[in-house]
This record gives sequence, C-alpha cells and structure tokens, in this order.
Amino acid sequence: MAAESAGIPSVSIVCEGFEGQAAATARGHGYDDLPLAVTIGHVDAQSYDDMVANFVTDTVERVIAGLTSATEVASGESDQPSALEIVASGSIDEINRVFIERGWTDGHPVIPPTRDRVEAFLADSGHDPWKTVGVATSSGQDMTIWSIAVNAVMAGCLPEHLPVLIAIAEILADPGYGAEHSGNTTGADAQIIVSGPNTQSLGFNHGPGALREGTHANTAVARWLRLYQRNVLGFTADEHDKATFGNATRIVLAEDTECLREIGWDPLSAQLGAPAGEDTVTMARLNSGTIIGSVFGSTPGEIVAYLGNGIARTAAWDLTHVYGLGQDQFQPLLVLSPILARTFANAGWSKADVQAALFEHAQIPAITFERMIGEWSNLTAGRRRLAELAESGEVPPVYGESDDPNRLVPVATCPERFLIAVAGDPNRTNAYAFSNDGPHGWWTTRTVDHTPASDLVCSI
Amino acid sequence: MTSYDVVWPRSPQGVQRQRQAPRLPDLGGRTIAFLWDYVFRGDELFPVLEKALAERFDGIQIIGYEEFGNLHGADEKERVGRLPDDLRSRGVDAVVSGMGC
Repeated sequence: MAAESAGIPSVSIVCEGFEGQAAATARGHGYDDLPLAVTIGHVDAQSYDDMVANFVTDTVERVIAGLTSATEVASGESDQPSALEIVASGSIDEINRVFIERGWTDGHPVIPPTRDRVEAFLADSGHDPWKTVGVATSSGQDMTIWSIAVNAVMAGCLPEHLPVLIAIAEILADPGYGAEHSGNTTGADAQIIVSGPNTQSLGFNHGPGALREGTHANTAVARWLRLYQRNVLGFTADEHDKATFGNATRIVLAEDTECLREIGWDPLSAQLGAPAGEDTVTMARLNSGTIIGSVFGSTPGEIVAYLGNGIARTAAWDLTHVYGLGQDQFQPLLVLSPILARTFANAGWSKADVQAALFEHAQIPAITFERMIGEWSNLTAGRRRLAELAESGEVPPVYGESDDPNRLVPVATCPERFLIAVAGDPNRTNAYAFSNDGPHGWWTTRTVDHTPASDLVCSI
Repeated sequence: MTSYDVVWPRSPQGVQRQRQAPRLPDLGGRTIAFLWDYVFRGDELFPVLEKALAERFDGIQIIGYEEFGNLHGADEKERVGRLPDDLRSRGVDAVVSGMGC
C-alpha cells in the first residue's frame, strides 16, 4: 500500500490461503483490490526444489501480470448500511439467527442492539456517539462511540463499563499495540488486565477463578472485545482472522489491588508507565500459558526457581520477539497468587527484586533458543547464532558470554522485561506464566477516565 | 412475542477510497524493488525471482530487499512510513513485496 500511495505499482507474494486476508487488508486501506502473486501451497512445507519449481512455473507469471495488467475494480458504490439503519427485525430468536448467519456474533446469543437500548447505554455518559476513537487499521472502519456501545449492548455490558471499553478501544487504535496483527496464524489472543481502586466496584473478580467465566464484568467486557474485533476490526474467518487454532475469549484479569496496596507493590500498569493509584486497562496478545502448580516454599529463594522455570517452559517460538520478528519485545507475564506475592514481600522483596531473580532463573540452553527461532520455526532469517548477534550488538552481551551451545541464556533481555501481576485465590500457592506475541499486540496501557464527557454540553 | 428492530453492529468506513497506481506496459529497462518481511523463505525465493525476471526483460534493474531492511520488524511502522520517499528517491518503477504466509 505504501508503494501504491506513492504512485508505484506493486504486487504482493502471498501463500495460498491468504488471498482473502490480503484483499481485506487492502480494503482497510481504501483499495478495492490489489494484485497478488499467490504461491502454490505453503512454502514452509515444501522442499527447496519443489518450492522453486512451483514458484518459477506459476508465481513468477503472477508477479509479472500484477505489475503490468490493471486489476478489475468493483464499482465505487458502497452497499453498507448507515449506523442507525435497521438491519433486522424480529423476535429474539430471529435476530440471533440473522446475526449468526451474517457473522456478527461470537456464536453465543446476543442482546438485540435496538436503537433505544444503545441510546440508553450512552445516555449518562455525555459522549457524542459519533466521536471516533480512531480508525481500525485492519478494516478501515471508524471506531465510533456508537459502535462501541452497540457491541457493548450485544455483549451484555453495563453502562458503567463504558469507560473501560473506551480505554480498550484506545489501545486497539494505538499504532504501538499493532491491532492489525490480531489475525496472525499462530493465533494469540488479547488479554485485558484491569487494575485500580474502582475495579471491585465495577464488579470485576480478582479472586478465585480469576480467569474463568462466571463473573459478569470479567466475562462481558472480554466478550465485548471479541465482538468488537469481529464487527469493527474485521477479524472473522472470511476477512482478517488467519488463526490456525486461536483460543477461547480470554476473560478479563483483574489485579488484587488490596493485596498490592498491603504489600507495597505497584500494579502491572505502573511497570508499563501508567500512574499508580489510578484505574487502568492494560492489554497484550498472549500466546502460550503454563500453570505453575503447587509452588512449595516459605521463602523467596525456595519459590523463585520454580517460577522462573515456569516462564522458561512457556517461552518457545515466540523467542523470535527477542530477535527476529520483534526486537527486544519478548515480555512474558507472571501472574502470582496473592499468597506467593506476600511470600516475596514479607521477606522484603520488591517487584524489581523478583524481576532480577526471574531473569537469573528463566533461562534455557542457547542451542534450544537458536533452534526455536531458527531451525525449527524459520522465523528468524539467516539462522544466526546468539553469540554472533551479541557480537554485533543486536542482542545484549548476556547472550554471547561464550560459544558453548549448552550455556544457559535468559528468555528475555533484561529483568524489566518480566511483567508481574497479582490475582487469583488468595490462599492458594499457584502461578500462571504467559508468553506474549511481541509487536503483534504489544503491551499497552491506558488510564480509565470515569468522568462524564462534556461532548454534548452546549457552550455559548 | 416481542419484536426487535436492531442496528448495524459494524461501522462506516473511515478511510478514503484509493486508486491503484497505473501498471507498467513492460518491465524491460525498469527498476524493480523487492521488499521483504524477513520470514517465509523470501531469502530463497527473491533470488529465484530476480534471475527469472532478468532472463525475461532486458535492462531490468533489481534493488534487493536488503536495501530496505526488515519491513516486519520492531521498527515496521517507521520503515513503512518512509517507504514512499525512499522508493521515489531510488527511482523505483515497481515493487514486489513478500512474504504473506
């Protein structure tokens, strides 16, 4: 698109199966169609000889045609309804049937978004419904307050959740988050994490079953994100979603603010630069998760090795975000139950102390690291060794302290890269480690503004 | 039975419609830039493409992907943002980008 916008013709080489996503991406940037040169099959599953033979006999011709033949473009007329247009009428069963047929739901029944319900949802907010938070880079759709409210009604959210939803939408619109990558094939899903003094009064559960459906606020807000990604960002199977598997919707994780206050630790969002003491939403797309069960010990020294090992076992192909697909962007999350956090704090350990210890213990052999990002996944071009990357300054010196392939190296570049949240049953000694998807849903945080907006106040 | 009149859950397009750039009548004598996201075997396939194009079109010039760096790395937005100027300043006539897999 950057080339086309400069008046330079382009063609994109994509593997078979990516035509739909490529066309949707082009539409999101205002192009009805852009030429593709589709390969036969997936190049990663072919021998070199087969891949080259397929490419020369087929794809090369498509490259040439894409640069020399104009693509047939559909008419410029839009058949999209307006935001207030009635798109379906009927009983609740009929409405849900229509929404399922048109791909507007996550598969669960929705609350019918009537105009009255949506207006009532926004009534006390003071927001101009037509104000935009941004434009979705994937679909090109306006992220209006109205669209946020329509999907919130569908998900069963309450009006008091709106400030949280707007903060999430702001993260989706933040170029640093990279929402356009939300349909990548490895299928990470967004994890919303709320922190702050009002999370409990908003109904969020931070206690037992913190990541399980069952608490309305945690479930409904997370469901809103799934619906919004489908309907406004375009992440459906026939548009942008190329997840090979994907995950069920990740329920909102609420931090145990009271425990954090008692032990004198800042919330997760403060690690990412948000002011402590305020309500915040933090979000990233997470890949794998590992439950670190039955952590045994009464001192930090007794428990930290197991926790570090849990993070190390969670890190795999996504280490390419240390170097490769990302650059110093592997930033795993460790969720500690309150009792584990207190074990550290009671011994005088700050979060920074825990991070430093995790950096020492979350380590794997260099050869395994190199295989994960190179030989086994081919996600880091050139299959360069960590020692070579350290020598050229592309990764920190800690990765190049020797050329012994079995030396241990950290899974993240520095202690600050280990994020820590506190949640879950206060009396159980379990933890949960998650790997993140680097720049493809990068850790981003926003303050939640509960103040009614003044968009609709008359001024003379 | 209650009847509901429901509104559209999607949202209007917020981007301007764009026209694709004019295509070239022929690639002979043209300068073609390769852009790569540094995944999915582009390092093996772009040399094959360069050879195939050189055999077909007299005077074709290729600017390799190395000149533009990884367009899918940590600084993706900055690199893509300066791409139009970068392409114009190098006299690029057409672009082949990959690999979307």
